[in-house]
Amino acid sequence: LAADVSVDSVMAELHERVRGRLRERLLSHGASREFEDPALFAEVERILQTATSTGDAQVLLLPELLGDRETWRLQTALRWQSHRSSGAASIILFIKRRLLMPILRWLYEYSRDNFERQRRVNDVLFACVQELAIENARLRRDLQSLTDNHR
Amino acid sequence: VKLAFVVQRYGADIAGGSELHCRELAQRLAPRHQIAVLTSCARDYVSWENEYPSGDTSDGAVRVIRFAVARPRRLNEFRALSEEVFDGEAPRPHQEEWFRENGPQVPGLLDHLREHGRGYDAVLFWTFRYYPSFFGVPLVRDRAVLLPTAEDDPAVHLEIAAEFFNLPAAYLFLTPEEQALVSARAGRTLQPSAVIGTGLEPAGPPPDRQLLRALGIPDDYILYLGRVDRNKGCDTLLEYFQEYAPASRALPLVLAGPVKLQVPAHDRIRALGYVSDQLRAALLAHARLLVVPSPYESLGIALLEAWNHGVPALVNARCDVLREQVRRANGGLHYRSFNEFCEALDYLGSHPDESRALGAQGLQFVEREYRWTTVLPRIEGLLRSLPTGQASAAAPAI
Repeated sequence: LAADVSVDSVMAELHERVRGRLRERLLSHGASREFEDPALFAEVERILQTATSTGDAQVLLLPELLGDRETWRLQTALRWQSHRSSGAASIILFIKRRLLMPILRWLYEYSRDNFERQRRVNDVLFACVQELAIENARLRRDLQSLTDNHR
Repeated sequence: VKLAFVVQRYGADIAGGSELHCRELAQRLAPRHQIAVLTSCARDYVSWENEYPSGDTSDGAVRVIRFAVARPRRLNEFRALSEEVFDGEAPRPHQEEWFRENGPQVPGLLDHLREHGRGYDAVLFWTFRYYPSFFGVPLVRDRAVLLPTAEDDPAVHLEIAAEFFNLPAAYLFLTPEEQALVSARAGRTLQPSAVIGTGLEPAGPPPDRQLLRALGIPDDYILYLGRVDRNKGCDTLLEYFQEYAPASRALPLVLAGPVKLQVPAHDRIRALGYVSDQLRAALLAHARLLVVPSPYESLGIALLEAWNHGVPALVNARCDVLREQVRRANGGLHYRSFNEFCEALDYLGSHPDESRALGAQGLQFVEREYRWTTVLPRIEGLLRSLPTGQASAAAPAI
């Protein structure tokens, strides 16, 4: 048997290889020349990885700034409603729910699954923007501090 | 101590993870405590149809009281409600209705808790998401011990669940990650609590390979154990494996468990369907590694079973519980993407000594954390810390 094997050490080694191959592939497809620097690529990956592993939309600032959620948030569930009078509405809702929905469920579920994915991508993008904004704000502060010291 | 165990289903023939956990604990604590299991008459977790007779029975030294399910699950209503509440911002009554529709609706069990709940020193509730726990805990909250068996799925993020997590008197968790998740949802450190996991008996000598050879299973293989289902990440596993296999000398993938999705025809993928306990043990004992692709797990019992046989694991890193269990045990590798999946399989295939060492470390972890002699004292310790348990322990036996 090998001596004690550390999962973290093995995973660090594997991540390094995966990152190297990914960087080469992106460069071969014409990605930014900045990625020729492995250390910079690793740093970019770290920042984006932090953002993508956030997972919880409740820790994001951007949704708060976008205002009324009804105006921008993807609604993935179907709302059963009708603008008609209550008698007509209940007939229409019955037709929609009990007759049309069973026939169209496959299409509805296909669309809903894709909306769910889109919502997740939106959250990840919000998280990425937030992470970059934090980095940017930090750099601005450091730069300001250096400028002040220089004066 | 007089204990009630509340669980959605109960029986020797019930295969669910939390139900098995409940039964194991009931059987092992019964010699020292007076235990009554309060459960439904259901056997099927989808329909909750009444299948067992209601009333008093016993399971060894454990008293079992079954209550009839008032209404089987209305699948269409439940599906529509799930879509609404998991879409977010559903009003509180709709969220509560979700727990009611999720069932099994056993009003008799709630009546029993109202009338006799204070007669128990502690009432342990398995699984926060079902009706008996969600509506039962508030009735006996001064003596309620919750085993949430929570995963980082949409139900745990419901607003109403956050309030619910604050109600019990104490908590038993399966992993530190579950403890962190539920505490984060409750907005505070939940005490008193203990992380107990589950207990395993030593695996014993490996069963003969003959059983596997008779089924045409090669000597070296990658094992997946459990329901072959999209919810368990099997669709992604199959997709990754099919892409990985042609470009490498991949070991065959053996899927052992009821198949709930289309398994592609592939010369290196073998789906066995449901397997007997004997075959399951043989598969575990002789596997090169176990793969666990599930994105949601509250413990990962198959992972512990593999380590119990000294088999290393490859797990989905997107599931915090699995990733951290593997890191704590030093018992395998984890992947987050297709490239990492391939790299990890290549590593385990080309480093047999390291691979065996990871399996051995997994076994040491099980020896340290998951033997019944370790797990039961953790539970007893928590029960002793309850004011109701202390009062009973001091009182003369009835």
